[in-house]
Amino acid sequence: MNGRFSRQSFLGANSEFLFRSVRAAIVGLGGGGSHIAQHSAHVGIGRFALFDPDTTEFPNLNRTVGATFEDAISKTPKVIVAERMIKGINPYAEVWPMQLEWQKDFESLRACDVVFGCLDGFSRRAQLEESCRRAMIPLIDIGMDVHKGEPYSISGQVVVSMPEKPCFKCLGFIRDKDLDDEGRRYGEAGGNPQVVWSNGVLASTAVGIFIQLLAPWCPISPGSAFLGYDGDRFTLEHDARFAVGVNHNCEHFGSIGDLGDPFWKP
Amino acid sequence: MNIHFKLSSAMLNHVIGDLVRPHPFAAERAGFIGCKVSRSREGILILGHTYMTLQDNWYTDDQRYGCFFNADAMRAAMQFALTNDASMFHVHMHEHMGLPWFSRIDLRESSKFVPDFWNVRPNLPHGTLVVSKDSAAGLCWYPSENKPNRISRITAVGFPMKFLERLT
Repeated sequence: MNGRFSRQSFLGANSEFLFRSVRAAIVGLGGGGSHIAQHSAHVGIGRFALFDPDTTEFPNLNRTVGATFEDAISKTPKVIVAERMIKGINPYAEVWPMQLEWQKDFESLRACDVVFGCLDGFSRRAQLEESCRRAMIPLIDIGMDVHKGEPYSISGQVVVSMPEKPCFKCLGFIRDKDLDDEGRRYGEAGGNPQVVWSNGVLASTAVGIFIQLLAPWCPISPGSAFLGYDGDRFTLEHDARFAVGVNHNCEHFGSIGDLGDPFWKP
Repeated sequence: MNIHFKLSSAMLNHVIGDLVRPHPFAAERAGFIGCKVSRSREGILILGHTYMTLQDNWYTDDQRYGCFFNADAMRAAMQFALTNDASMFHVHMHEHMGLPWFSRIDLRESSKFVPDFWNVRPNLPHGTLVVSKDSAAGLCWYPSENKPNRISRITAVGFPMKFLERLT
């Protein structure tokens, strides 16, 4: 344990080596994913796979950690912004910056020990969860919304989908109705309101869950979680749906055919 | 070749719970894990799904071996591979702490029976694992390769994540 991590030595004598050897995927490097990249680099995660096809625009600067005015002018890819930030904190980190949708590089995703999902939309979340389940990768999803109304309201969530545990559907996070509604709205344009502080709360919590999975500092299991964020009252609590779903035997990903590559060839 | 074997923490506990049970005459127990396979940027993933315990009467009383199972055991494992298009991994336990490894008898016998799974599933890798109380090691026979590869990573996925073997 060198001096750099002395303030987190309570995570265990081997935690520095362990964190260095773990590969985390971050899918979406916007307001949430950029926070996660920064926090993970600080804590000592040594390997990253970053997925985001987008470049930095001026509207991203209100929440994308590490992005600069110059990045918005030059339209720097978000994965390059995140890579630069990670390497600035830890020059020895191994980073795979992939400026593409994660579906175009399944093999890189499958090489990861844990995936952070920072995507918009239920169908994209469901697709990512299926891919993670196929490769037995824990998925930690975060997301937030600003709901229009009188007054405005901020909410969000951190949800953990652990292989062989209740999935997003079991936990009530994704319902068929949500997928149907989203399908009907497909193609509608518009950037949803997003703010840096609530993204920060959710991302920090997600990284805490990640570290608790790797090097638990207490015996409370985050193995399955559905935390709801009330951005108006500034609280983060177990969502009521979690109590119902946590004891589900997952029927959506239980069979042997739900694992691995259906078209495997040596 | 970089090979990463994954199973859930619940399955690992189930496997160990089964293997530590005393047998009427065999010194140790064995089982099989039915797996699926995938490819990653760093190699291949072997994904454990179903643990197949060996019935007491599938063991042969042969004092030269800690554990010797009969043709019924192999038949059941091969049937599982055939029915489920599964990669099969034999598993047994050395009851100590730290990284385990295979005995000479383990290596000799597994090199005989593991390639037999290619008779039913020739395109899939098959292999053998040895687990200890807190670690594991494994060998994998990849299709069209005669010699086994050492499994470079073995991970129990759950809370907490257990990295039982991590060579890379």
